[in-house]
Parts: sequence; C-alpha cells; structure tokens
Amino acid sequence: MLAEIGLISLTIAFIFSLYATFASVYGGWRGRLLWVESARNAALLVVPLLTIPVIVIVYSLYTFDFSLAYVYDVSSRAMSPFLRVAALWGGQQGSVLFWAWLMAAFVGIVLLRKWDRDRELMPYVIFVSMLTTTFFVGVVLFITNPFMRLWHIEGAAELTQALFQPLTSMPYLPEDGNGLNPLLRHFGMIGHPPTTYLGFTGFVIPFAFAMAALITGQSRRDEWILTTRRWTLFAWIFLSIGLILGGRWAYDVLGWGGFWGWDPVENAMLMPWLTGTAFLHSVMMTEKRGMMKKWNMALIILTYSLSLFGTFITRTGVISSVHAFAKTALGPAFFAFIGFTFLGSMTILYLRWDTLKSDHSLESFISREAAFVLQNMLFLAVTFAVFWGTVFPLISELVTGTKITVGPPYFQRVTGPLFFALVLLMGIAPLVAWRKQAARTLGKAIWFPFAASLGIAAIWGASHRMHPASIFGLWLVAFVLSAILAEFWKGVQARRTTRNENPFTALFNLIGRNHRRYGGYIIHLGVVLIATGVIGDAYFKQETQGTISQGEVLSVGGYQLEFRELLGYPGSDGRQIVEAVTSLSQDGPIIRELTPRRDYFVVQEQPVTVPGVYSTPGVDVYVMLIGWDDLGTSATFKIYVNSLINWVWIGGIVMILGTMIATWSNPARRETTYVLKPEVLTSQP
Amino acid sequence: MTQQPINEQEVPSSPTAKSKKIGLIIAFAVILALLGLLAWGLGKVQAGPRESGMAPDFTITGFDGRTVTLSELRGQVVIVNFWASWCPPCREEAAYLEETWRKYEGKGVVFIGVDWVDTEKEALAYIDEFDITYLNGPDIGTRAAQAYNIQGVPETFFVAKNGELRGVHIGPLASPQLDEKIEKLLAEQYP
Repeated sequence: MLAEIGLISLTIAFIFSLYATFASVYGGWRGRLLWVESARNAALLVVPLLTIPVIVIVYSLYTFDFSLAYVYDVSSRAMSPFLRVAALWGGQQGSVLFWAWLMAAFVGIVLLRKWDRDRELMPYVIFVSMLTTTFFVGVVLFITNPFMRLWHIEGAAELTQALFQPLTSMPYLPEDGNGLNPLLRHFGMIGHPPTTYLGFTGFVIPFAFAMAALITGQSRRDEWILTTRRWTLFAWIFLSIGLILGGRWAYDVLGWGGFWGWDPVENAMLMPWLTGTAFLHSVMMTEKRGMMKKWNMALIILTYSLSLFGTFITRTGVISSVHAFAKTALGPAFFAFIGFTFLGSMTILYLRWDTLKSDHSLESFISREAAFVLQNMLFLAVTFAVFWGTVFPLISELVTGTKITVGPPYFQRVTGPLFFALVLLMGIAPLVAWRKQAARTLGKAIWFPFAASLGIAAIWGASHRMHPASIFGLWLVAFVLSAILAEFWKGVQARRTTRNENPFTALFNLIGRNHRRYGGYIIHLGVVLIATGVIGDAYFKQETQGTISQGEVLSVGGYQLEFRELLGYPGSDGRQIVEAVTSLSQDGPIIRELTPRRDYFVVQEQPVTVPGVYSTPGVDVYVMLIGWDDLGTSATFKIYVNSLINWVWIGGIVMILGTMIATWSNPARRETTYVLKPEVLTSQP
Repeated sequence: MTQQPINEQEVPSSPTAKSKKIGLIIAFAVILALLGLLAWGLGKVQAGPRESGMAPDFTITGFDGRTVTLSELRGQVVIVNFWASWCPPCREEAAYLEETWRKYEGKGVVFIGVDWVDTEKEALAYIDEFDITYLNGPDIGTRAAQAYNIQGVPETFFVAKNGELRGVHIGPLASPQLDEKIEKLLAEQYP
C-alpha cells in the first residue's frame, strides 16, 4: 500500500516537473507571467511530491519490507538502524531517487528566494533546472524504479521484478534481504554519498543561472555571478567534503594504507572539483574587473558537464574501475542527456558570445588578474591531465585495439608539478594587487615568508636528508603557510595600532569585517595542510609485511608490533570476526594495543579488512591482518607507517570552516547581494 | 579549450568572427569526438563481462619462461587471476592467493597469474615481495583481458575441469573464498 502511494506521488512529481519545464520556457518566451508563476508553483510542488517516495523507501528499508526488490537488495535484518536508513543511497535505484530529490529541493529553495532585479532570469532558471530534474525523476520512474516488487512466476527458476503483478505470478516475500555490500557498512556511508551528491547536484544552480543569463541576454550584466556565488561555494565545499570523506573511507576500509588511488571513480569526482575551483576564482575577475566573462561561462558549462560525466562513468562502468557497480539500462539515457546538455549549452554560449565583452584588459603580468589567469590555466591543465588519463583506456582500445590503463605513476608525475605550481601560486597571488604592481612592492611582501620558509626547510632538510624532493615540498608548504599567516598578522597589527584592540578582538574583527577575504585565506590554509599530508604520503610512507608467531615481533620505522593471540567470534550485521590481538611499541614501552581484524560477511561471502590504527598528529601506524594459520599460532600482518596523513583530514575541516566564514552573510551589509557592479567596485578598494 | 579570454576588445571584428568560427568548430568537434568515444565505450559495457560458457583460450608465457595454454589444462581446475603491480587491492589478495596455491599445488589445480598493463620491473618486484611461485606472465597486447572482457583488476575467473567458466570474482579474494570455490570445482566429475 505504502509503496503504491510512493509510486503515485513519484508519477505526479514527474508530470509536474515536465509541466514546469515547458510552462516556464513558454511563459518566458511569450512574456506570459502567469505561465511562469504556474511553472514556479509546479516546481515547488515537486519537492513534497518527491519527499513522499523518499520517506516511503526509507520507511520500507527500516521496516524490512522485502517485497520491494530494492529493499531486498540493500537491507537485511542484521543491519543496524542507521545503516538501513543510509541504504537509501546504497544502491542504484535509491541513490538516483535521492539525487533527484536533492536537486528538486535545491531548485525549490532557489525559487523561494526574493526575485528582484533578476526577475527576467526566472523562467529560464526554472527551465534549465527543471529540465535536469525531470530527467532524473524520469530515470527513477522509468529505468531504476525503486518500487519494483518481487514476483514468482509459476515454473520460473528466478524471481521477476515488476511494478505490477505479471500474469500467473504470485507475490514473493523473502524472509531476509541481501543487505548492503559489506564495504558500504561503514560510518563513511552516512557522510560520503550525501555530501558528494550535494556537491554534484548543487552545481545545477549556477549552471541554470548562467544559461538563463545567456538565453535572456542578461549576460551583459554579471549579476548571475553575484547571485550564485554562495550556491557555487556551497556546491564546491560539499564536493570537497565528499572527496575528503571518500578518501577517509578508502583509508579505513579498503585497507591499502592510502586514501587516493587515481581510480576512474575518484577522478570523476576530482575533475568537476578542479574546474569548479577554477570557476570560483575566475568569477572574482568578472566581479571586480569585468574580465573573463566568456571564460566563466565555459568553466561553469565544463564543471556541470563534468559532474554529469562523472556520474555517468561511475554508474555505467564505461571505464574500468576497481569499484564494482551494478549495470543497468541507465547508460543510454544518461548518455543522451549528457550529449544534449553539453551541446545545447555550448550552442547557447556561441549564440551569445558577443554579449560577453571584457570591460578591461590585462594591464600587467604582475597583477592579481595575471595570477588568476595563470591559476585557471593550471587548473585546466590538471583537469585535462586527469581526464586524459581517465579516458585513455578507451582511446587506446579504440585506436590500437589494446586497452592500456595508465596507473597512478602517470597521474602523480603529470599532476605533481602542476599541483606544486598551484600551491606556490596560492601563496603569492593574494599578495599581488589588482591591475598592476611593481615587482619591488611584491618583493617586499614576499621576502619574509620566503626567508622564513627557507629556514624551516633547511632545518627540516638537515634531519631528513634521505628524501631531497620532500624538502622542496616542505619548503613550499612552509612558504605558503607563512605567507597566509603574515596576511593575518598584518591585518591584526593594523587594527591594533589604529583601533587599539587586543590581538584576539583584532583577529575576530578582522575576519568579521572582511569574511570573504579571510575566509578565503582560511580555505587556503586548509589546502596547505592537505598538501602537507600528501607530501607525507608521497615521501615518508614506510611499509612491511611478514608472518610472525605468537610472541614474535615485526618492526618498521621505529615501531614494533608483537603478535599476542588470535580470537574468533561472531559480530553484529551477520559477520564472523577474526581478530588479532597485538601490541605496538616504540623502542621499548608498549604504547597501544591494536586489534586488526578480518570480518567475514557470511551471507555475502565477502571479507572486509578492518585495520588497527594508532593515530597521532605526526604519524599513523596502520596494521592489517592479512592471513593466519588454522591453529591461530601465527599470523601475517602488513604494517604501514603513514607520516602526516592526519593533516589531510584536519585540512579538510579547516577548509569547511573557511568556507563557512567566506559565505557568512553579514547582516549589516545584506543589501550588497543585489547591488549593481559599479557600486561593488567602489565598495571594494 | 575555448579562446583566449583576455584582450578581446582591441581585436577588430572580422578576424574575431573568423577565429570565433574556427574555435567553435574545434570546440564542437572535440565534444562530438568525446561523445562518440563514450557511446562506443557504452556499447561495449552493455555487453557485460564473461561469466559462463567455454573459457576463452589463451597462451601465456611466464616471466620465468614457462609457457602454458589454457586448453591444454583440461581435467584440472584452473584459477585465472588478473592483477597488476600498481593495483592496491591486488596486494590485499596476493598473500592469500599464494598461500592457497601452495595448499593445492599438485592436487589437480593450476593457478595462472595474468599481469595486466604493467611494467616488468615493478611486476617482478611484486612477485618477489609476495614470494609468488605459480605461473605469472604479462598479458601481451591485453589479449586475455579482452577475451575475458575484464572490468578491472583484481579479477579472478574460475575454470572447471571441462574448460567451462564457473564464475568470476571481482575485487580481492580473501580466505576462505578461494578454498571453497576450488573444493567445489574439484568435486566435479571429469570426464
């Protein structure tokens, strides 16, 4: 009964979104306000209409309604309540529904805002965003419907999935479900998929505004950029969080001691993040100087298309990946939609090319503008390198008939120097003034961080001579860090002298008065911390593997692991656990008891390695149980000593903090969201 | 990608129009080429991986010079494992594979390690690291990988005594999956 309500609601949602799509564009084209209003109302109604099927699925997952094929697939009696709810996005059908719902909710929130000067954009914002929403709702309804039931047709060996009862069939109600893939039964399952989806779907808003601005010719004014700034940052930070949580998850459950493997699925998510980051910076050029307008348009189209592309390759398995995904009929529909979106938006951009004239041209190569152009080029170069490596197996197979996959070394070698240059630029660019700057003034701003970082790198280098490349990395990180901190220092000093504030009040007010700028610096700070973690991962990782008997010791990097005993016991979620009790010591005293495990999920016949980790800010000792003999007297362990890896996660938290500050709405200056550009120019010295 | 974003306003209109046209043609050609590539890839994927029927035959020459042809191994259970030294999940199963091989060596079971898109130096280091003793060789021209339409590494195919495929395992194997599978296949009657 409930499932039927969900299905009906889903069907109505599809009709309404289809209606909103066409009514809005008709209203906009003919100038009929009533049609636009009606489209807006329909689009708003889609949100509750999609909420109903989402609630129904969550409820069915929670209450074990195994008559639904989806529930049978991803839920099981052994699963904990929170995992049963998270199973909403644990499989294809549920996750596409969840995706459509998020997108509809975003569109709904945008439509509820006050439409003032950009009223003309509204019909086309509705059109573009609802077209996308319609596509996803359509996919849920027609291709990956989560309300399919299980039926047993007389004489058939296998169960049939169908929405309605096939002839000569009986409804089938399994006793228990298969449950989520064991790798997904992790804390990361709560955070990683939803944040990723928020990031991917969030980009539809700036994209829709950009398209609307182009269609209406409003692209002459750059208001769409101001209007969507927070949306872009919002989508971007969730994509960032999704990337970091995904890395953390991989680190915790995939058991190879790393967090980034350059797998196509990871790359698929990295690419829109890269172009999105470039976009976030290039819009500042338009906002402050009226430059790079065409570029922005191209970037947002690229970002949005890449996020669709990412979804496409992860969902269809077009590019081989170590991640296994179910294959469905989603592929052709998705392919058609990507083609339509990409070609359609490029055509619109072409038709409106002439409305996007720059107000200024580049005045000097030592200027913030030049730094932004360089930064954008670098970001695109990284994107291209990643893209090339990701699709290379396809290209090589097409051209030579041989599938050649480029492994992580390709990505590391090609993107490493580019990322190095980007981080360096991140240290210098904020010190460079808009328009032009004398090299001498820039030198004045840079000498101190430069000298400080050289000092730090020298001290570091003296004690870590075996990795010369790491000294460069550490120098870079130290330089950018001191450049950013120097900016805070200068700001605080200025307030202290002019306003007589104590350092803490000064810092607080400094950030409060210019939250965009200092929020940006804090995001940069987070990136530097992540870079530190990556350097640690690249140069200081140590590993060993060995089989030891009870009482014996395996050592690596100054740590000793003693194997004490092997335990076996049944765990929750229907798993059999084999756990090794070990103690970790560092040159003498025992510092921690570690219990690396191997969980065997009986129903799924799948094992999951759960590492034992000793974690400190400087170092992670990551121990995996790889094998054991039948008597439990000896066991094989793999140990990684991962230096600095925790700074990746800490950096992620700092980035979130910075984004919150950067997007913080200043009550006193709330009006500025809608002012025209000239006033923005004058208010920003 | 598109045109140079700066300095447009000084350029006279006619060259702009021309360069715009060329830029446009390039941009659209790139997009169409990309879409074509995806369509082709999609068509292949929709065909799906091989899981049943006769196992495609292949011959592999090991790093140590030994040569083996699958069709000559009738009567024995064959485990074909695709791996690569750059693949982290492969490392996870390597020790278990070797351990299982030693357990079943000489008992009517053959292990074949197919090293997929790899470099010999790293591959040999990998074999050395895990002390792998069963036959391992490079998949020259990725012929075996294509015949089995693998989706990635590690992937393990199980070949019954009569040469038929009895399923594939995607992702790393762990105790006791392989043992169970081998026991099941060994129990089959042949001929």
